[in-house]
Amino acid sequence: MSFSRRAFLALAATGCAASTAPPGRKTAPLWFTYGGKNRQVLEGLVKTFNLSQGEHWITPIYQGDYFEGLAKLRTAIAARRAPALSHVVGEVVPYLAQADVLEPLDDYPGARQLDIVPALGQAGSWIGGAERRLVALPFNRSTPIAYLNGKLFAEKNLAAPKTWDELRAVARAFTHDGRHGFGCPIDWWFWAALVGQAGGDVVEPDGRVSLGGEAGERALDFWKTLVLDDKSMKPPPGRDYNAWEQTNQDFLGARVAMIWTSTAFLKYLEENAPFPVVAAPLPAERRRAVPTGGTHWIMLRAAPAEQKPTAWAFLRFMHETANAITWATRTGYMPVTRAAIAQLEAEGYYQKHPNDRVALDQLGVARPWPWSPDLFRVQREIVQPRLEGAVLGGKGTRQSLDEARALATRWR
Amino acid sequence: MRPSRRFDPLWMLGPTLVLLVVFFFVPLLQAAKSSLYEWDLLTPPRYVGLDNYRALIDSGELGHALSTTLIMSAVVVVGSMALGLGLALALNRPTRFAGFVRSAVFSAYVVSWVSVALLWLWVLDADAGALTALCRALHLPTTHWLGNPKSALYALSGVTIWKIAGYSMVLFLAGLQDIPRSLYEAASLDGAGAWQRFVNVTWPLLRPTAAFVGTTSLIISFQVFDVVRVMTQGGPVRSTSVFVYAIYEQVFLNLRVGRASALVVVFFVLLLGLTALQLWAWRKKGAA
Repeated sequence: MSFSRRAFLALAATGCAASTAPPGRKTAPLWFTYGGKNRQVLEGLVKTFNLSQGEHWITPIYQGDYFEGLAKLRTAIAARRAPALSHVVGEVVPYLAQADVLEPLDDYPGARQLDIVPALGQAGSWIGGAERRLVALPFNRSTPIAYLNGKLFAEKNLAAPKTWDELRAVARAFTHDGRHGFGCPIDWWFWAALVGQAGGDVVEPDGRVSLGGEAGERALDFWKTLVLDDKSMKPPPGRDYNAWEQTNQDFLGARVAMIWTSTAFLKYLEENAPFPVVAAPLPAERRRAVPTGGTHWIMLRAAPAEQKPTAWAFLRFMHETANAITWATRTGYMPVTRAAIAQLEAEGYYQKHPNDRVALDQLGVARPWPWSPDLFRVQREIVQPRLEGAVLGGKGTRQSLDEARALATRWR
Repeated sequence: MRPSRRFDPLWMLGPTLVLLVVFFFVPLLQAAKSSLYEWDLLTPPRYVGLDNYRALIDSGELGHALSTTLIMSAVVVVGSMALGLGLALALNRPTRFAGFVRSAVFSAYVVSWVSVALLWLWVLDADAGALTALCRALHLPTTHWLGNPKSALYALSGVTIWKIAGYSMVLFLAGLQDIPRSLYEAASLDGAGAWQRFVNVTWPLLRPTAAFVGTTSLIISFQVFDVVRVMTQGGPVRSTSVFVYAIYEQVFLNLRVGRASALVVVFFVLLLGLTALQLWAWRKKGAA
């Protein structure tokens, strides 16, 4: 059985991984998973890498969105056609590590000396991440932040909300004539931010899925108040990244005065909005808190050995100060090395671009995720549908979360 | 009648048969086998017997996908047949204008599903969509068409009807043009009005066409994926998670090849059964 299946998958994966690398170089494919502005910047950096030396050559190959890319990655691994280098969302790193498909990076030259911002690397992204073998390096790391329509806020002389009460008041103030005051996808990531702000954690440090207990209920009730009672928050149609994109479009079209979304869209929104975009930290309830998001670089254990030095050379290149700065300042993601941040500070970049500073400042209150191989399935299959059910389907908050907790506990 | 060269039909059927075996029967058998395994493509497949089917039933996912798909199919089949037939009756005349409208209606059918979905995403936008603007202008209540779990499935069904009605119309037109004029003339001489002519002449003679249109609409509605993928991604609250999208979600998003395969098997059996039932019902009616 395994042979025929593998042969089929190999064929499919080979088709996906067609390369146009020039002769005479050590080559390695890089499977990446985003389009638009971020794709342009990444391809520019790959080009710079390829032209900056004569030994290695990276071939970037677009593989759809994060989850489409992950599915293709699994197919390629099963077909023994794994690319040397790719990047995946943080939630699936423990799952891939448990499946033993990730290349340990500790022994690569200079791996432990990379000047990574602790909260963005493996050590700070997962509880106990520092004690494990190094399998992930930070790439496009983000936090959720608030984006305000500067023109509308100036007209009403309102400031970015600092508490949930202020958020509610501001959202109501802008809700009229077909416009919503606030927009946010009904997505686990933003709910996790609310849970943290209400004083809870979605997953306890021991891996128990508590969904924040009472804080989780307050977070969900807050959304329900905004959507169902005040009708001041627009939950976009669609799910996953489609809903995120819809939120962006609503913001750019001034149909929503303020949104929560990732730092990933900072430059995209700044460059495309017909009004000044003001970024602001998320408000606090009992405390300030945000989750981190985005993806981490991984190398695949099953990739051909001769490709791995090239992949590693590229990873080191991406962690050089100038390249970390290019990536961050052209996309809106956070710089992943301390040297890059220090240089941007010294050059006065953040004075000129205060929006870029917001996510970085929030890192101080970022909550790490547990190292849980099942977390992404708990998130996708159990919690996410129940969040939607409570906010959009009118189901009871406690009933929804109790149900999710019970299912998640049985999962373990 | 026996062919003089007995193997000629087999040769002629051969290429299609090969394609069917390679791209349909073999994958179907492979899916049936995979449905008995737990497999995430990374770790070796583990035999679990009928556990995948059991999990789909226990979690309610199978029932949900089934009911969502059946509701959508019922709306789409009835809607597209009614609209297609209505358009065919209205446009079955040899004028230039009728020809232009026929072409315009059919053009939706040849546009890609993704383009149609993107167009309707704009039309159905809760704030700035054309439909919302129209409702507001007419002082009619509006809703978040795609964001409300109660309306999203019907909104997608409407989009699908809009897309395939032109196809039904063309088939019904062909059926209408096959009906001899003499039958209408005879019916008129017997004093039959327009409705009686439709009930006693048009509809009985259109029945084979209607059976074909119904069956193909059913298959199209069961295979709807693009509009769901582009417009709602199965949401909100999984209210538009039809069968094909549920399969996609299991394998690509939840990384569960076994459960996706189990859904494929159930989907195949269901579609086969429904098609057989529909054809049987139409033939029985035709024979009566």
